[in-house]
Amino acid sequence: MEFDEMKKIWDAQNNQPLYAIDEKALHNRIRSKMTGVLRVTNVSEWLLMMINLGAGSLLLLLNPFKPGANTFMYVETAWMFATVLFVVTSRIRRIKANRRFDRSIHGDLDHAISLASYRVWLSRIILWNLLPMGAIMIFSGWEAGKFFKVSVVILVSYTLAFYVGSKGLRSDKRRRHELEVLKEKLETGN
Amino acid sequence: MTEKERLDILEVWLKLHRGLIFKVVRAYTVADHDDLFQEIIIQVWHSIPAFRHEASVTTWVYRIALNTAIKWTKKEKKHAGAETLDKVQHLLHENRTSIDERLNWLYGEIYKLDEIDRSVTLLLLEGFSYKEMSAILGISESNVGVKINRIKKHLIAKSKKYENHGI
Repeated sequence: MEFDEMKKIWDAQNNQPLYAIDEKALHNRIRSKMTGVLRVTNVSEWLLMMINLGAGSLLLLLNPFKPGANTFMYVETAWMFATVLFVVTSRIRRIKANRRFDRSIHGDLDHAISLASYRVWLSRIILWNLLPMGAIMIFSGWEAGKFFKVSVVILVSYTLAFYVGSKGLRSDKRRRHELEVLKEKLETGN
Repeated sequence: MTEKERLDILEVWLKLHRGLIFKVVRAYTVADHDDLFQEIIIQVWHSIPAFRHEASVTTWVYRIALNTAIKWTKKEKKHAGAETLDKVQHLLHENRTSIDERLNWLYGEIYKLDEIDRSVTLLLLEGFSYKEMSAILGISESNVGVKINRIKKHLIAKSKKYENHGI
């Protein structure tokens, strides 16, 4: 085949569209990212509220009848209820704040970033919340005369929880970073 | 320039030069058409305010598409195996109707060339002059000439093998 023949083959493709852009697919992709973050955020908020509310209520109900119940157990209960209150108010603020985003590609992307940032913020607070909760439990054990036993249990279980929480936080940060990179690409091209 | 004006320009440019971008995408990547296409569109979008009508729009878009593709290929090689951050699947639908088998072969051969030779081949097939190619690629006209001679010989030799195999 001579080069002129190749050129003819090449030119012939100009009459045939090779591809069609599916702009809707780009928007759908971003929207699915946004709904994914929203779903995970909702689930984790509800889990935090339910777990703290359940455990706090259980402690509140059982403490008066439990031999060896002490002040720190009530402090622990109050702390759990405060955590529930904190998550509820954060959730309300988040839902209110998220109303400002429109349904364009940029709006959905900004919404996804805002949700991811909120998740990072909440995960970080919940992670560090383990420290005062653990400390209260240890004090409670100390007051009940079971300092060593309680300390070991708290140390092991909270270390595990801290490890899992840190992994979650890292994953949240990575997700937010991915969204920010996508936004930066769309806005600056770098 | 307002956002609206920029969008209008991009729309016109895409309408006129979409085919050109697809050719570059197809010549520079086998699997990640969507990613490279998206990258080129973004770069073209950002280039709009810098366009001064010193070159034709076709030359300008080609220059951006090729530079993006070359940079992208290098980056992809560097991060081979890494998950891209913004994979946008199914962004493009390939139109598989009436594709000449020889065109597929030609794309295959272009893809096997190195990044600069790929660009030279695309520009040559598009009918750009040596001077234009030199301006787009940033290499001297004599260098363009040398490369073209070599590429032509290479492709003709390959085509003979291709035809002898009766595909």
